[in-house]
Amino acid sequence: MTPQEEVENLIARVAIGDRAAFNHLYDRTSAKLFGVCLRVLNDRVEAEEVLQDVFVTVWNKADSYKVNGYSPMTWLITITRNRAVDRRRAMKLPPVPIETADLMPDSKPGPEASAIAASEARQIKACLDELPRARAHLVRRAYLEGDSYADLAQATGVNLNTIRTWLRRSLMALRECLSR
Amino acid sequence: MSDQTLPPDGPEEDEDRVLAAEYALGLLTEEERAWFEERLDTDTALRAEVVAWDEHFAAVILDDVEEVAPSPQLAKRLQTILFKPEKHSFWQQIWPYGLGGLAAALVLWLSISTGILVPVDSRLQPDLVAELAPTPDGEGLVIRATVDTTLAAVEVVRAAGTPPDGRVFELWLIAGDAAPVSLGLLEDGNSTLIDLPQDLLAVLPGALLAISDEPPGGSPTGAPTGAVRAAGPLTSS
Repeated sequence: MTPQEEVENLIARVAIGDRAAFNHLYDRTSAKLFGVCLRVLNDRVEAEEVLQDVFVTVWNKADSYKVNGYSPMTWLITITRNRAVDRRRAMKLPPVPIETADLMPDSKPGPEASAIAASEARQIKACLDELPRARAHLVRRAYLEGDSYADLAQATGVNLNTIRTWLRRSLMALRECLSR
Repeated sequence: MSDQTLPPDGPEEDEDRVLAAEYALGLLTEEERAWFEERLDTDTALRAEVVAWDEHFAAVILDDVEEVAPSPQLAKRLQTILFKPEKHSFWQQIWPYGLGGLAAALVLWLSISTGILVPVDSRLQPDLVAELAPTPDGEGLVIRATVDTTLAAVEVVRAAGTPPDGRVFELWLIAGDAAPVSLGLLEDGNSTLIDLPQDLLAVLPGALLAISDEPPGGSPTGAPTGAVRAAGPLTSS
């Protein structure tokens, strides 16, 4: 069984109320998912509360996994990331500042632009590397840290509409690269 | 910045793709999100686009986010929250099994008529039978009871599952709204034969059988004191 099939199999067993499978799934995935919560919230107590909430959802909603078309880790990561971002927004945490120096050398592609994606899963990283470095950084901030447009505007001191334009253009370029 | 002077968004498709990415990232305003989710309900291509973005972003996370072990207390807390729910009253635990009677009878009829479930014991000529479905507290239990009203006896066969350490299983009869009546304790082996009081025979059809776990020697109060582990209605065999 591949790791993916293994997690898929565990989720399927959780869906029929298999507690041992749930515990196994927790052991397998909680460290990665906790890492996701911490990255967004930067606070262990808050992150653990969100992770608890995530696993309660997994136990209750595992039967809906099959119908939504996600690969198993994506399903878990997406639930976790979205919950953590919701929590972060509810707490109105101020964004971590982004150095203007980081934003300005804007026309040059990132350092690893020439790196060839090792696998399909790395395709997105290769495409992010094709973006100007500062733009890729904004996309990563939005995804990994859950920054909103307003957060990014505050973090950079750049006007919100400009940030939105930048990010949307970056996403468009990413999408183009991904469909190549 | 040059970006600000670039031409407006391209064709509708591109616009949707970017919207899907913004949705996946949680960048839309509340109104935009509500409107987008309404479209998602009917637009499968749009839904696929969101799933594709989620897959890509999750790949970044899998790669870039370091694993950090949560505290061991979290695992324990989850066990308590999910698997040791507050004790419900006996009746709260029992009622779904009464409603399930018709379905259970159908399943039983199917399993017998298709030969999946062959009556285990020939000592009785059963005319009533109950499949005792496990409650959330009784995971893994497979218990079946057959009643011979002529002999006034019930045989309980435990095909799988055991009581918790230091506890015994007790069999209860619940007829209509009456309080549970103890029929006796299950023996350690997988089959227990219990005599039935004559005055109960008339109320058996449609009544519920339930198994609770009790201290050795049985319930000290005459009513179930432990968790209900399995229950099911008696139906004609």
